[in-house]
Amino acid sequence: MSNASPEAVKGSHRVSGATLFALSARRVTKRFPGVLANDQVDFDLAVGEVHTLLGENGAGKSTLASVLCGLYKPDEGAVLRNGTQVRLTSPRHGLLNGIAMVHQHFRLVDRFTVAENVVLGHRRLPFLLRASALESQVSDVAERFGLPIDPRATVGELSAGQRQRVEIVKALYQGAEILLLDEPTALLAPPEVEKLFETVRAMTAAGKSVVFVSHKLGEVVDISDRITVMRDGRVTGSVKRGEADTRRLAELMVGRDINLVRRLSRTAKGEPLLSLDNVTWHRHGSDVVKNISFNVSAGEIVGVAGVSGNGQRELAELVTGLQVPSSGSIAIGGVSINGIGARRVRANGLAYVPEDRLGTGLAPSLTIVDNLVLTRTRGFFVNRRAAQAEAEVFITKLEIKTPSALTQTRKLSGGNAQKVLLAREIFSTGDQSRIIVVCSPTRGLDVGAVETVHKLLDEARSAGKAVLLISEDLDEVLTLADRILVLYRGEVVHEVNGTSVDVEAVGHAMAGLS
Amino acid sequence: MNSNVWVLTFADGISIATTLILASLGAILTERSGVINLGIEGMLLMGAVTAFLVGDGTHNIWLALFLAVLVGMAMATVHAVLTITLRSNQIVSGLALVIFGTGLSQFIGKSVEGKPRPVRIEPIDFGALSDIPIIGPVVFNHDPITYLTWFGALIASWYLFRTRPGLVLRATGDAPATVDAQGVSVAAVRYAHTIAGGALVGLAGGWFMLARGTAWSQAATTNGIGWIALALVVFAAWRPLRAIAGAVLFGFLLQVPYTLQGQQIRIFPPEILQMLPYLATLAVLVVLSTPRARRLLGAPTMLGQPFVRDER
Amino acid sequence: MIIGRTRIELEPRLNSPKWLVVAVPLASVFLALSVGGIFLILNGHSPLHTYSKLLSSGYTTFYGITDTLGLATPLICTGLAAAFAFRMNLFNIGEEGQMYLGMIGGAWAGIALADHLPKLVAVPVVLAIGALTGGLWVLVPAVLRAKLGTSEIVSTLLLNYVALNLVNYFIFGSRGFFRDPSTSFPQGRAVSANARLGNFGTTNTYPTLIIAALLAILLWWFIRNSNYGYETSVYADSPNTARYAGMNATRLTISVLLVSGALAGLGGAMYVVGPAGKVDPGILQIGLGYAGIVVASLARYNFVAVVITAILFAGLRVGGAALQISSNPVPIAIAVVLQGSVLLFALGGEIFRRNRIRIRRIQPVVFSTGADA
Repeated sequence: MSNASPEAVKGSHRVSGATLFALSARRVTKRFPGVLANDQVDFDLAVGEVHTLLGENGAGKSTLASVLCGLYKPDEGAVLRNGTQVRLTSPRHGLLNGIAMVHQHFRLVDRFTVAENVVLGHRRLPFLLRASALESQVSDVAERFGLPIDPRATVGELSAGQRQRVEIVKALYQGAEILLLDEPTALLAPPEVEKLFETVRAMTAAGKSVVFVSHKLGEVVDISDRITVMRDGRVTGSVKRGEADTRRLAELMVGRDINLVRRLSRTAKGEPLLSLDNVTWHRHGSDVVKNISFNVSAGEIVGVAGVSGNGQRELAELVTGLQVPSSGSIAIGGVSINGIGARRVRANGLAYVPEDRLGTGLAPSLTIVDNLVLTRTRGFFVNRRAAQAEAEVFITKLEIKTPSALTQTRKLSGGNAQKVLLAREIFSTGDQSRIIVVCSPTRGLDVGAVETVHKLLDEARSAGKAVLLISEDLDEVLTLADRILVLYRGEVVHEVNGTSVDVEAVGHAMAGLS
Repeated sequence: MNSNVWVLTFADGISIATTLILASLGAILTERSGVINLGIEGMLLMGAVTAFLVGDGTHNIWLALFLAVLVGMAMATVHAVLTITLRSNQIVSGLALVIFGTGLSQFIGKSVEGKPRPVRIEPIDFGALSDIPIIGPVVFNHDPITYLTWFGALIASWYLFRTRPGLVLRATGDAPATVDAQGVSVAAVRYAHTIAGGALVGLAGGWFMLARGTAWSQAATTNGIGWIALALVVFAAWRPLRAIAGAVLFGFLLQVPYTLQGQQIRIFPPEILQMLPYLATLAVLVVLSTPRARRLLGAPTMLGQPFVRDER
Repeated sequence: MIIGRTRIELEPRLNSPKWLVVAVPLASVFLALSVGGIFLILNGHSPLHTYSKLLSSGYTTFYGITDTLGLATPLICTGLAAAFAFRMNLFNIGEEGQMYLGMIGGAWAGIALADHLPKLVAVPVVLAIGALTGGLWVLVPAVLRAKLGTSEIVSTLLLNYVALNLVNYFIFGSRGFFRDPSTSFPQGRAVSANARLGNFGTTNTYPTLIIAALLAILLWWFIRNSNYGYETSVYADSPNTARYAGMNATRLTISVLLVSGALAGLGGAMYVVGPAGKVDPGILQIGLGYAGIVVASLARYNFVAVVITAILFAGLRVGGAALQISSNPVPIAIAVVLQGSVLLFALGGEIFRRNRIRIRRIQPVVFSTGADA
């Protein structure tokens, strides 16, 4: 296997004094429009160690990993490889320095065999490809690290866990000394996770170093030599193996100032409008949403907290009629809506603000007026005059910054687009909506816009509507919700009623430590 | 009925198949990179008229074919610039090339319309071998380009499935983002194969003119062969070796009506026979659309999609 | 694209300046005329003289204009057909075949039904049945696309050649219903006089032109104001939004393709009602179906602009034909060359309208390699 690691940087095996790290970040700062994703972050990875970056979604851990592998260039600060500063210009350049990242979304060619995928992009690949030789090379690498995989299998036919193995073998084949695994357990079934951990141990035993990016506290404690916790773009703490106390980590991860101003319902809650009874939904044989039951009543906001990928999106699609539950029932005002379709669910008074505002909630190239028409009941002809008048009112009332009501929504800022969407779903006179399902309504918005959105949701509640707020932003849920449900792996694992909230308990539930 | 007639039909079918193979190989290379070029008919016509005019002026077969190749490459380059660099709609750009090529070939060919073919690519003399019954006319009665073409299909298959650039080419059509992440330029791969494809299509047009054409007449020259070549690519599921089999089948089907007419046989209307290649391709297209077949065999996943790097 | 140390980038414009909307088509026409001019000079013709004659015969003389309008009539229909589908990102390139089927269907109605109907009813019936058969011809590709995701590009293209052979079979290959029984010369059987509309005076323009133009305005109005038009606009812009709003993608896809086919079929039926009066294989050589796609593309899928573009396009061909009547005839094909090159330049120019071109110097890249440095 002479050409398995031809591009490994010379000297990377030179494990010398304790101060020499395989890879380090020094005061790395990375900004995206409106977001400070990494704020003066320091990070060190020793040779042969598994170092986990732990944090909630949006904590900045994936951004840091992307900076370390060469995908993003840091705005400030430096990346050091074996103690020497490197300016990585691309993932390819990162790979030349022995650094490879395995992304959450695999970058594989479905129609290729495993071997073809692994060797693709290897710069020293011979012109003539002898399938048998390549397959045995790939098998060699795979077996050395305990990654059983058939090199002749077609990738399109493989499970998520097997594909991940292909990605890892690909990185190793290309000579990676450092592997950054971004949420590697997100798509894996529990036995596959165990398999992955065996692989990680085999890799570190062979002198490779691994950065494990994860938000699943429960899983990473066993595998990690060190865990660095991030929150809001900053490192909040770092613990070594043996010192790792899950409660302490959970605090570092989700702990926050308790002096949030909570806005709770000021009126008595009314009749239950939306009720879920033992709702379960399978996909590919596993339960994505499992035995969920709750009510949302008029005049209250029920918040669903949880780290992303725990069934939130699916829950929203079930409630809004875009998906049909595998079992259990969903009812509006006591009448079952199972399988009646999104349009009729809406006609029953349910409004829906999806997470993806431009591209799902709004049609980007259509005007504000046309987007207001979207969820109205329409006859044979579209009445734009009424929508136009409505648009003018919203623009004034919500201070939507736009040249006119006939501006395409893609030309609006995120906050203004969100105002259009909320205005339509909450206030549109076309349908009197009684229930509002809102998903991560403030993601990516600036402080002022966040405030407006929260005010709108509060007003909707005061107007007697039932609001289901599904958000990965715990602060947001804490601020607005009268009742909080925590979703973990598709199940409600924790429920908070009343005015006093044990934030720590919520954080633990989100991390799966019930 | 004379069985010899059917042997000749088959031999003729093989000769039609050669044009089809050349043109569809060009289309396979282009489409494998993720670019669909519907302009083949126009490029064939331009290749044909170029070969005719150059042959008429110089009586040099090889120069005529060479310039036909260059013209094919030039037209493919126009398509590449419009669709790869400027990200225009590939369908419309291809149709524009058909119209442009149809018009220009007719325009510059006007002065020689109806004039008999100036030079002819002669079949290789295999001596006694060509006299062997059945095998002789079918196998040993063709010109060098025919043999090169058949050999070329083998080379193309070898290139696609056995070499490093072939691997990258296939990945570019299926998952350009993956190729891009490996530090390979998607645009470069697409340019190279679109233009190489154009060369083959230009050669197909030139060869068709000098080997099969009798006189230059735009309407009768290609007679829709460019479109059949595009159908053949689908029929062959983007695989050169299957294109050979498909081309022989299509070539035979296209030739049979003339044989039947010559024999005064009217068992089957020729027009209905001529529909068969298209209907067969439609059937194949449907089979290729089933979920499993699409995942493994169908059109390159990103065929017709411009590649834009997804940047945050 | 990178040339040396310079990187050329396209950057999307949020607002395209008004002047570009005019400048790009004008520049495309100018560049296309220049390309045509080069070939004219190489062929020993004066470009200026040729162009002035081309334009004056296509667009200024009475018979030039009326010929142009006559040719434009079916072209408007195929142009509308293409625009209707393409604006939904459904690439129906089978207008050619759908038009032939419209001609066959229209001729069938004209022969079988029209004699039993009053003229006022017969003509609409012929047109309607032509539209219906044109629409049915795209049914299989439409269902395949909606249910299996089969590429409509390839399937509609394939059916063009099936349709072409079908027309040839009816006229040349058989002595069936559509063939004129009174002569051994292969030509179509004439439809009933009830099914025909007379031409205007001695011109080649038929009242069907007015139907086609009104249809374009109707479509424009319908798409802007109806719920159906609204849903297609949402789906074309963002299929996810359409799903979110509970729209039925399968029904939209199938119906848009069927309407597109029907519009092309109507073009074929207009040929029966107007100049042809029978199934006429002569139409097969004009390529009005493919030209319709070009027209729609130049009109940027705007229905009213399709009418204007189709007339300009037809004028080029009519003018091209006039060029041949001369001591030094210029081949009619120059018109086709111009059509092709206008489209190629317009396609390229569209990018400049939508994007800003940025030219940047590239910072030299330093490849530092860790411990080696």
